[in-house]
Amino acid sequence: MSHPLVATTNLVKTYELGGETIHAVDGVSLTIDNGEFVAIMGASGSGKSTFMNMIGCLDVPSSGSVEIDGIPTSDMSGDDLADLRNRKIGFVFQQFNLLARTTAVDNVAVPLIYAGKGGEERRNLATQKLIAMGLGDRLLNSPAKLSGGQQQRVAIARALVTEPLMLLADEPTGALDTRTSEDIMEIFQQLNDDGITVIVVTHEDEIADHAKRKIIFRDGKVIEDAPVTNRRFAKAQQGAEA
Amino acid sequence: MKRSLSSRISAWLVNISIAMTALRTNLMRSILTTLGVMIGVFAVTLAVGVGSGAQVSVLESINSLGSNMAILFPQPDSEGGRSTFERGRLTTRDARAIEREISGVVDVAPQLRSSVTIITSGNTASTSAIGATPAYGLVSNINAESGRFINEADVRTAARVVVLGPSVAEKLYGDFDPVGETVRINRVPFKIVGILESKGSSFGNDNDDIAIMPISTVRQRFVGDTLAGPDDLHVLFVGFQDGIELSTAKREMTELLRDRYRVRDRDGNPFTIRTTEEFIQQTSQVTGIFQTVLVAIASISLLVGGIGIMNIMLVSVTERTREIGLRMALGAKKSDIRNQFLVEAAVLCVIGGAMGLLLAIIAGRALTAYADFPVPIGLGISIGAIIFSALVGLVFGGWPAVRASRLSPIEALRTE
Ligand SMILES: Nc1ncnc2c1ncn2[C@@H]1O[C@H](COP(=O)(O)OP(=O)(O)O)[C@@H](O)[C@H]1O
Ligand SMILES: [Mg+2]
Repeated sequence: MSHPLVATTNLVKTYELGGETIHAVDGVSLTIDNGEFVAIMGASGSGKSTFMNMIGCLDVPSSGSVEIDGIPTSDMSGDDLADLRNRKIGFVFQQFNLLARTTAVDNVAVPLIYAGKGGEERRNLATQKLIAMGLGDRLLNSPAKLSGGQQQRVAIARALVTEPLMLLADEPTGALDTRTSEDIMEIFQQLNDDGITVIVVTHEDEIADHAKRKIIFRDGKVIEDAPVTNRRFAKAQQGAEA
Repeated sequence: MKRSLSSRISAWLVNISIAMTALRTNLMRSILTTLGVMIGVFAVTLAVGVGSGAQVSVLESINSLGSNMAILFPQPDSEGGRSTFERGRLTTRDARAIEREISGVVDVAPQLRSSVTIITSGNTASTSAIGATPAYGLVSNINAESGRFINEADVRTAARVVVLGPSVAEKLYGDFDPVGETVRINRVPFKIVGILESKGSSFGNDNDDIAIMPISTVRQRFVGDTLAGPDDLHVLFVGFQDGIELSTAKREMTELLRDRYRVRDRDGNPFTIRTTEEFIQQTSQVTGIFQTVLVAIASISLLVGGIGIMNIMLVSVTERTREIGLRMALGAKKSDIRNQFLVEAAVLCVIGGAMGLLLAIIAGRALTAYADFPVPIGLGISIGAIIFSALVGLVFGGWPAVRASRLSPIEALRTE
């Protein structure tokens, strides 16, 4: 592996708010390699989401740079960034962000529209991912007919449907109860075992402990970056290890 | 990354289905917005239909005169020079000269005209008398429905015979066929020898309100003392073969008559020549203006409908900012977002347009049935209306769609 999957150099994001400059992200340089499982932690307002949005190519840095899979993103056009997100990055959000009045299959198929895939292929791939998420019997349900955990699994299927290199999840369990949160983290661990890079933003230690590496933000700066020593595994795997 | 044709088509289909979902979500709002476009397209389509109807009926009434024809009057015409003649001239000898020397002439039909009062034992009718020759029937395509038309013998002997237009006949005799009856025309007894076929009306003028007599009879009994010479004419119809260039024929006739009257080069003509071609040009110019004005007025309602579309699309974009952000996060390019909203606007407009078109067709049929006014809304106008509706969607949906496509992904995604 000649280059890291994500590399940031002196990444800065500032906001002007009522004459005051807020340094949401304040000079972050770090790399994340293929296959890592990273938890980004820190208090509310410490800059986790802002950082995540920049490495996800949703937001543009005020200064500094982001390289994804060895490609600098600073000079890319909006459409090129859209294409990059489509092919290499899968997003999972706290509020699921599913389209209302739209079936699970159609929700999962949305990224494939923008990948230029035909209708039949879209349906097939989306169905496969939903089955892999254990939602084979919920294909035609709309979000309103699904539980929170099920909705988040539809969202994960959607994030995975273009076979991206990494999964970016900003507070993916923030709207879920403890049990369901565990289920979601178990899915992330399995996906990571299968080779996909996972980056999760959270402020809960129990969630972060599922990852392999913890990066802690404070006031837009990284104050700690260390492997998880006492890694937590979801129930099924705990049983298998014992 | 190039996208294949099939995936492009598929992307458009997706946009249509997204649009349908969005429109169904706000059903009442969609219907009300569509109503605006519907009324606009209805008004414009009907205006186009009424305009072409006017064109059609005008052309029909010109064609009913006879299609390839010139009409000459003894009125001085300043066309092409200063008018120097107090009074124009046109005579039977001119008619014969034209028949002899101008190529392509089928027939010449000289006429005298007068107003007459026709009296039967019980009724009276005032009408215009036309003193004609049998040629008039041929040139102007006028035939007797019952009885016969004027013949050569009538003209030779200045016979006291008359052929009545159906309106006059009805006024005098009702449903009774009066052929063979005797009437008094300006106190002179005439025998009715025929009733004309109906020619309907044109420009609000009843073509059936006439009485045709031999030209010699009219000259002798009604207009003789008002004419400048014994063989002067009021009107001369000249019928031409199909395929004859009327403008050339007109030039040749003008030269011939100027020669005959020894008109000097810088002087105008002591006669006027009009061709059916010129009538058609003039009237289609007029009906064209009429149609343009109608359509322009109707377009205002379509403009209002379009503004409604723009308004609702701006609302839709604002409401769905988060969805736009999500789609961008998942890989939608600017053009994908733009097209999605353009399609939504176009779908709204095409639905409205189709309903408007349907209403216009119904209204057109009703006008034809109850007001006897042709409103031809054919396939061409229909397809045009639908394409035009889609264009209205693209134009008025354009700005909202472009606005949507320019949103920043993260700003859009953060919107509540
Ligand atoms: N769009 C914005 N405009 C102004 N300030 C912002 C904006 N987004 C984030 N911030 C500020 O930047 C800082 C970091 O925010 P964020 O990255 O959302 O933190 P976290 O995700 O760790 O809670 C906060 O002080 C927040 O108020
Ligand atoms: Mg956050």
